Amino acid sequence: MKEKGPTRRSLLGGAAAAAGAAALGASSSAAAGPARRWGMVIDLDRCTACGACTVACRQENNVPPSRPGPEHGGREIEWMSLLWQEAEGAGGLPIALPFPCQHCAEAPCVKACPVGATLKSAEGITLQIWERCIGCRYCMVACPYGRRSFNWEEPRWDGTLVQLLNPDVATRPAGVVEKCTFCHHRIRDAKQRAALEGRALADEDARRLPACAAACPAEAIVFGDLNDPESRVAQLARDSRRFRLLEHLGTDPSVIYLKRDRRS
Amino acid sequence: MLPRPPPPSAPPATQPLPATSIAWLASLACAAGAIAFGLYCFALQTRSGFVVTGLGNPGQGGGAWGLYIAFDVFFVGVSFAGITIAALCRLFDIAALRPVTRLAELLTITALVAGACAVMSDLGRPLHGLLELPNFANPRSPFFGTFTLVVAGYLFASVVYFFLAAREDAAATARTASQGRWFYRLWASGWRDAPSDHRRHHQVSFWLALGILPLLVTAHSTLGFIFGIQSGRPGWYSALQAPAFVVMAGVSGTGGVILVTLAVRRLLRLHDRIPDASIRWLGNFLWVLSLVYLYFMVVEELTATYAAPAADRRVAHEIVTGAFAPLFWTAVLSLFLAFAIPFSLYLRKRTSMAAVGLAALLANVAAVLKRLLIVVPSQTHGTLAQVDPPSRYAPSWIELGIVLGMFGVVAFAILLFVRIFPVVPTAHPPGGSPTRAERGWMRIAATTLTALVALALITIGITDSFRLWSGEETDPRLPYSPAIFAAGVMMLFSSAIVYEAFPARGKPPVAQVIRAGHRRVYARAQFRSSRDLRNRRQP
Repeated sequence: MKEKGPTRRSLLGGAAAAAGAAALGASSSAAAGPARRWGMVIDLDRCTACGACTVACRQENNVPPSRPGPEHGGREIEWMSLLWQEAEGAGGLPIALPFPCQHCAEAPCVKACPVGATLKSAEGITLQIWERCIGCRYCMVACPYGRRSFNWEEPRWDGTLVQLLNPDVATRPAGVVEKCTFCHHRIRDAKQRAALEGRALADEDARRLPACAAACPAEAIVFGDLNDPESRVAQLARDSRRFRLLEHLGTDPSVIYLKRDRRS
Repeated sequence: MLPRPPPPSAPPATQPLPATSIAWLASLACAAGAIAFGLYCFALQTRSGFVVTGLGNPGQGGGAWGLYIAFDVFFVGVSFAGITIAALCRLFDIAALRPVTRLAELLTITALVAGACAVMSDLGRPLHGLLELPNFANPRSPFFGTFTLVVAGYLFASVVYFFLAAREDAAATARTASQGRWFYRLWASGWRDAPSDHRRHHQVSFWLALGILPLLVTAHSTLGFIFGIQSGRPGWYSALQAPAFVVMAGVSGTGGVILVTLAVRRLLRLHDRIPDASIRWLGNFLWVLSLVYLYFMVVEELTATYAAPAADRRVAHEIVTGAFAPLFWTAVLSLFLAFAIPFSLYLRKRTSMAAVGLAALLANVAAVLKRLLIVVPSQTHGTLAQVDPPSRYAPSWIELGIVLGMFGVVAFAILLFVRIFPVVPTAHPPGGSPTRAERGWMRIAATTLTALVALALITIGITDSFRLWSGEETDPRLPYSPAIFAAGVMMLFSSAIVYEAFPARGKPPVAQVIRAGHRRVYARAQFRSSRDLRNRRQP
């Protein structure tokens, strides 16, 4: 799938380069090399499975709290959770993988959505337009990672919980699918702040940008531009311990895990 | 044996409409009750959200799709056989099947409506679906086929075929019906019972049947692709899905036609008009198709257990020996009997309506179970990265109630129709090609124009739906381009109506005379045309 000839973007870039100096001013962004691809590296050696990322995500993105009762079982809305895996070899503790949306470059959910409510942003984030979602749940069955949640009922924040809602993120109605957005509202915010200061968004601004990365006490989650070879996340992604989940499916995820080495 | 077709010079035997019987009223009341209960359940689901169903997030061990999708596939599958039987009957002139064609077409249309109800019940926001699908539907999603090809193309083509095939009977009923004549006249839409009418219909029905069959295979394949092209879902990812869906549609649809035919025949006492021979033909279709599907199941299980990836094997074992084994083996046994019963009748050259009816029922039981076994286990047990252990999906009573309502829709529509319209098509003399004069250049021009506009709409609609002109935008450039595509497909099939019902020159069409309100003029027009009919037959 990767070698399918020139894409529209690369063609545009080529045209801009051929046009030379005359076109430079108009299409400087297209000529400035490959676009950003936001990605995440999660170092399992550092992760202590404290779950701070899951709580921070819930808080940041107005993910409704799960409710007790059997009718709510298996219907929890999760953007970030821990995927527990048996350790390799005897004596090892089970491994917890912080498990957000994998933001696949070849996302099966994007192809499946009948109305284009889920799409890839220009910077590689798999977004969901809640407003347009019709609730057919095809994306949920198409996602091999099970990283999409349906609003089985109207979300509720009882009592004073409603005062903790984040005004930067819209709440979602019943009947739509929602998912991790790599905290794209924070990315937009950081970009605007950098623009006000008259500079481009730097790698240091991005490293701990999503709420999960910001909350991780062990700094196991690093965020950044995978297409920028100098960024911290791209350097970590070249580590020999790297692996990605279900890589054989060819989904090309943007979340890269670093294998646990230590036995503890 | 079929009753011999009446001699050409005699007027067609008009079929009297059945009287309102207690049994019919009771059946209609039951169907209406089922619809009402289904609507009540749907209202509860709309009010409380999908928390009232048994569905859940696949990543947490549940199934995001359940009964609704299984029954969507089932009802669209049932619709398959009806129009196929009608088309095959026309293409190969199978006289024995003619008496069941109208019921078969009717089942196609009503089952497709029920399938659309199933999709609507499954949507988290049905109103948004109605507003956004015509605007943004994306052909890259296999659901596009369900929304446009199945609902617009295939349902509309079936309605056109149904409408044109029944014009003759509508005109005949308009002459005899005691009330609601306007309805029959409207349906007849200018049918004068002239030889030219018959010849034109003979020609149009052939091309329509030829056009519907590939559309049908495409539409059913898109249903299979919904599952077959998802590589992330073990048990679904298989090239066999699309052809298997087409064959299973044939199995359940033939069974459905048999059941509906038997029920209507009994209810309206139509034994003289629907002979056993017709149902024997359907029984033969049933055993052939069931056998093909049994073969598909063997291939499917062998592929999924021999050297398949671990996750595929896990799902297959769960189906054959695990939590889904009771459903699976019931499905296998039902399908085997749906093959064995009509096959043994065929071998022994016997006829037993009860046995064929049982086989038809079992075929549909197998179809429902098989669809559930395709939809559910791959979600509950096939998730590759699962947070919680798998749970078993069990439909709630609300889901069952909504599905009952869909059966109510099918039953209600069929019951209502058989009361107000002759269900057995009149056997008319074979047509032939219309002469040049009968075609008329105006008719040809109008048909060609309709078809060309339709093709233009299809081209514009599908290319823009594919976002080919959108540049960097993610949405189609034109508003409602998927609807433009669907309208184009509908218009293409409408060109058949234009060709057939285009007002003939010379004599005023009956419908126009009637609309003026002169019943006697209408009667004379009929007489004139039937005299004309006799004159033309005698050179």
